[in-house]
Amino acid sequence: MIDWSLRLCVTRCVFGLLLLGGGVQGYAATALVGTEAPDFALKGRDGKNLRLSEFRGQVVLVNFWARWAGDARLEMKALDRINATYQRAGLVVLGVSVDEDLRRAREFVDAMHVSYPMLFDSGSNIGRDYHLEKMPLTLLIDRVGVVRYLSVGFKRGDESAYLDQIRGLLRE
Amino acid sequence: MNSNSRSLINIVRVGLLACLWAGMSASAAPPTAVAPASTAAPALPANDAVLPDAAATPKTSDFKTLDQEVQGVKKDVIDLNKDLFVLEEELLFPANTQVAVFLSMDVGTFFGLDSVTVKIDNKEVTNYLYTAREASALLKGGVHRLYLGNLKVGKHELVAFFTGKGPVERDYRRGATIAFDKGVGAKYLELKISDRVPKHQPEFMVKDWE
Repeated sequence: MIDWSLRLCVTRCVFGLLLLGGGVQGYAATALVGTEAPDFALKGRDGKNLRLSEFRGQVVLVNFWARWAGDARLEMKALDRINATYQRAGLVVLGVSVDEDLRRAREFVDAMHVSYPMLFDSGSNIGRDYHLEKMPLTLLIDRVGVVRYLSVGFKRGDESAYLDQIRGLLRE
Repeated sequence: MNSNSRSLINIVRVGLLACLWAGMSASAAPPTAVAPASTAAPALPANDAVLPDAAATPKTSDFKTLDQEVQGVKKDVIDLNKDLFVLEEELLFPANTQVAVFLSMDVGTFFGLDSVTVKIDNKEVTNYLYTAREASALLKGGVHRLYLGNLKVGKHELVAFFTGKGPVERDYRRGATIAFDKGVGAKYLELKISDRVPKHQPEFMVKDWE
C-alpha cells in the first residue's frame, strides 16, 4: 500500500516537473525575440508620457516588474547601476510597473530612488502584447526596434548576462 | 471578415514576394548557366589549374551590374510594399464603411494635451496617450489619424474625452460629442483643439468633413 502511494507521488512529481519544463520552454514571450517590439506609450513617474518607438536609434532595456514578483529590489538596483554606466553610450533603461495597485507601486519606486524612467501600466494592452505571464520580464531591444534578448525572472548574477548582451548591441 | 481579409493579404504578399524572388533568381542565373560549357571542356594540366579561377574572378563591371540589379529589386520591393499597403487599406477599410477620426491642435496656449479617448456608439474605440514630442508636432500643424475603422450606414454618435493640463497647470478633462450620419462614402471626422482667447479657456470641437 505504501509502495503504491509512493509510486503515485513520484509519478505526479515527474509529470509536474515535465509540465513545468514544457511551460518554460514554450513560454509565449520567447516568440518575441527576433520580432519588432510592440509599441506602447505609458505615463511616467513625473507625469510625462513616454513612447517606446521614440527611442529608435538607441539600445533599449525594458524591465516589466511588479512588487510581488521576484526580487524587484535587487533587480532595480542592478538596472540602476547598468543605467548609470551605459546611459552615455546610448542605452535607455525603462522600468514598467504592471502592478494593479498604482499608489503602492509609486511608493515602492519612490523608496528605491532609481535614476532611470519608471512607467506605470494602467490597463493598456501591454500584458497581451508582451505575453506577460511570468514576472519580472526583461527585454533588450536593438537600435532598429527588434527584440534581441529576453530574460524571465531575476537572480543574483543575471546582471552580467545583461551586460554581455548590452555591450554587444551597443557595438553594432 | 477582418481576419479573412488579413489572411488574403498575407497570401497575396507571400505570392508576390515569391514571384519577385523567382525573378531575382532568374536574373542571377545567366552567369551560372555558362559554367557547364567551361566544365565540359577537357581537363586542364595541373599547372594550368589556377587559370579558371583567375578567369572566374568577377570584373568590376560585373559587380556594378549586380549592384544595379539589387538596387532595382529593392526599388521593386518598395513599390510593391506601397501597393500592398494601399490594397490592405482598401480591403480592410472599404470606402463604404470607412470612418476615420483625426486630431488637430490650433495654438494650444491654454491646453497641454495628454490623452484622447474616443467612443463611438458608447463603445471605446481608441485611447491614445500623447508624448511631448507628438503634442509639439500637433502644435506645429501636424494632424494625427487617431482612429480608422468600419461603421454601418446610419446614425451614430461620437464622444471624445480630452485630458491634459488646462490654464494655470490645472488638470483638465473635457468632452465633445457629435451625432453624425454615415452615408455610403467614407466618413472623416476631425477633433479640433483650439484656444478661446476671450475666456482664456481651450475649446474642443468635432468637425464633420462632408
